[in-house]
Amino acid sequence: MQEIDIQACDREPIRHLGKIQAHGYLLSVDAQTFLIRQCSSNLSVFYPDNLSQVIGLPLEKLQMGDLSGQEITQLIQFALKQSSLETLNPFSVRVQERDYHLIIQRQDDIYLLEFELKDEALFPSTLQNLVSRVMTNLQQSKTIQELLEKVAAEIKLITRYDRVMIYRFDEEWNGEVVAEAKDKDLEPFLGLHYPASDIPSQARELYKINLVRTIVDASERAVSIYPATDNQTGNPLDLTHSVLRAVSPVHIEYLKNMGVRSSMSFSLLYKGELWGLISCHHYQGPRLVDYTARMSGKVISQLLSAALEFRKDEEDLTLVNKLWRSEQTLFEQMQRDWNVVQGLIKMETTAMDITSASGMALLYEGKLYTLGNTPNEAFIRQLIEWLKHTKIDTIFHTHQLPRLFGPAEAHRAEASGVMAIVISRQLEEYVIWFKPEVIQQVSWGGNPDEKPVVAEASGQLRLSPRKSFAKWTQIVRSTSDVWRQAEINTALKLREDILQILSQRANQIRILNEQLKLAYEELDTFSYTVSHDLRTPLASIKTYAEVLLIDYSDRLDEEMLPLFEKIVSASNRMGDLIREILHYARSGRTELSAEPIEMRELLYSLKDELLVSEKGTPITIEIEETPSLKGDKTMITQVFSNLLSNAIKYTRPVAKPHIVVKGVKNADEIIYSVTDNGIGIDMKQGGKVFDLFKRLDNARKFEGHGVGLAIVKRIMQRHHGRVWFYSEPFKETTFYVAIPTH
Amino acid sequence: MIDVLYVEDNPDDVDIFKRVVGKIEQPPSYKVLNTGIEAVDYVLRRGTYQNKETSTPKMLLLDLNLPGNNGFEVLQQIRSHNQGRTLPIVVYSTSDNPKDMREAFDLGANAYLIKPGGYREVSEMLQRAIDFWVAQRGQH
Repeated sequence: MQEIDIQACDREPIRHLGKIQAHGYLLSVDAQTFLIRQCSSNLSVFYPDNLSQVIGLPLEKLQMGDLSGQEITQLIQFALKQSSLETLNPFSVRVQERDYHLIIQRQDDIYLLEFELKDEALFPSTLQNLVSRVMTNLQQSKTIQELLEKVAAEIKLITRYDRVMIYRFDEEWNGEVVAEAKDKDLEPFLGLHYPASDIPSQARELYKINLVRTIVDASERAVSIYPATDNQTGNPLDLTHSVLRAVSPVHIEYLKNMGVRSSMSFSLLYKGELWGLISCHHYQGPRLVDYTARMSGKVISQLLSAALEFRKDEEDLTLVNKLWRSEQTLFEQMQRDWNVVQGLIKMETTAMDITSASGMALLYEGKLYTLGNTPNEAFIRQLIEWLKHTKIDTIFHTHQLPRLFGPAEAHRAEASGVMAIVISRQLEEYVIWFKPEVIQQVSWGGNPDEKPVVAEASGQLRLSPRKSFAKWTQIVRSTSDVWRQAEINTALKLREDILQILSQRANQIRILNEQLKLAYEELDTFSYTVSHDLRTPLASIKTYAEVLLIDYSDRLDEEMLPLFEKIVSASNRMGDLIREILHYARSGRTELSAEPIEMRELLYSLKDELLVSEKGTPITIEIEETPSLKGDKTMITQVFSNLLSNAIKYTRPVAKPHIVVKGVKNADEIIYSVTDNGIGIDMKQGGKVFDLFKRLDNARKFEGHGVGLAIVKRIMQRHHGRVWFYSEPFKETTFYVAIPTH
Repeated sequence: MIDVLYVEDNPDDVDIFKRVVGKIEQPPSYKVLNTGIEAVDYVLRRGTYQNKETSTPKMLLLDLNLPGNNGFEVLQQIRSHNQGRTLPIVVYSTSDNPKDMREAFDLGANAYLIKPGGYREVSEMLQRAIDFWVAQRGQH
């Protein structure tokens, strides 16, 4: 299969085509010697015998009909004294009774001299008037659209072309006619799209340098430059800045296919990049808009470019301000308690508000949160998996996700557009925004895919310009509105802020940790003081009271004895209380060392220990199923010791005290119960049971300080377990403790 | 030759100890020291006890909460020397913290007694301890 030279248009040497249009003359003059180096071959009009006579001729010896080379030389010398050629251009000269504009430009080591016919009839007002009219339009237009329409009309008025269009490029360089001023009988092109291939990239580059181009007559043959290459440089003449430059035959063919006889275009730039074109078409005959009128048009296009920048900046700024205000709010929300999830999605302002997205997802600490209209969770996770393997550093965005990621096709209704920021690639934390599919009906000026292949004389196949310009409508699917720069910038800002919050939070936690450590150290000291320094004198009080009771009882009378007994029993109570408080403090603080516990062994030894002091009472303790569990042995022992001694204590008043302990294992936890038939608890007071130092009405006569069950609860909390109870006084009271098995 | 070396800074505890010992039929000989440093010096024959004629006690009754070197340090230092390796050391403390008990055993204590805080119970505990570590050994 023969290869098709699809890049032919892109490769055409349009700066060096070596031809000019037929309505003018061109000379290339050596800047040092003023000898003529190249000329347009139509100068043969003045040198019918032999054009080669002109080459190497001193400029002042040239004779173009009634215009002498001496005159031209004087013009150049005059201009050089004034130091600037640009401000003096164009010079007026007469050749064969006709007025010409002479445009002189310095280009490397030559002067480029171009003679173009003058046509003042086409220029109805002075430049000053024109500029002031356009300025008024610029100021009065409320929107960019209105401005474009007014400028199109203004240009049509000046140039009297049949049709003036303003053509705007999208990010892929397809063009769309966004404003149009035309003769009534012409078919409208407004709203039509043109594929990027209609204007090849090197032509677009040229449009950024030379802002005005005209083809006076597409049916006129171009005039070649003689000799084709410069004798001194060996190169063809660079026509980048030429006003007479002929365009490529491909472009001429394109115009002819469109039925255009004469065309002109002005570049519209936005921040140095091509934003669009003012494009003028004439159908009935050739049209020469002369140099000065073209320069007026150029002034307008430059004013428009400036206005575009200003207006676009202004419109963008409004959006930017709105998005950045929302972002600032998000930052403040997150900062409140260093909570990213709370700050981004749980408050009035959410991360949805920093874009125009219709849905969002946050994957954070392994959890997925969504807001608004999003695809299902399974797809979001699939998308994140794909993002992980896509080369993105910080941000990813597309308005055509299904094109990049096939499975997205099924979710195009919610997720044709996606923007994602990476919080942590390692931890798989992302914020993702979704934009829905916007089904667009795009009308093309002809089928953009149609590029007829023709065989060149050389036998090589290449693409010729399009022949069909009939309106061709395409439905564009799986595409969302584009992500605007302001949205992207704000998302990036948000990312920075999230990272800052995370590091602030890490610091804060570190500070809190240090404070907690200090507090614990103080508490340690306090506990130690309590355990030792308070218990030691207390022990002395008790001991000496007992010494009196035991060693000196013979010297004490009947009244004194019970007083010493009271001292002893008060000391006992106080000692117990101190010990229990210590246990409570320790149960919340000491490190948990979880190990498998043989519950059967533990319960039987507790039973034996507790029943020692219950000799002579009819109490029975029954131990049923004892599934083993995992926990801190010291603390778990404390739990059952407290529960059992409570059960014993509160069954003492009943006739047949009976206690049952058993464990049940289910899917997630092991639940132990301690059931007694004692005095029980009024369920109305149930809320107080586990509170520190709270004692219930009916327990008043019993020893105790209201610490035991608080310890049980605290230990259970430390084990991520639960504790609860059920009671029918004097019938059945059961305390339950549950410890998770995982 | 002494039977019991009692290291204790609380004069009340010392007082009760003497009272309890005094009631034993064949009372053991004892010496009371108030600081950990003195106790270590005594056992290892260092410092002020360097040139004095001391005898290894049959039992060291050691309080944990001492000024200067606490009981744990005493244990550690005595156990790290040859002379102290076989000495029976009975910790006698108010602390019922399992962590303290574990640490004492880790450092080489032979027994850990929690001070009961009461004349009757203290008497019983001390008498049993002396009976076990001093009197019983004496019979061999």
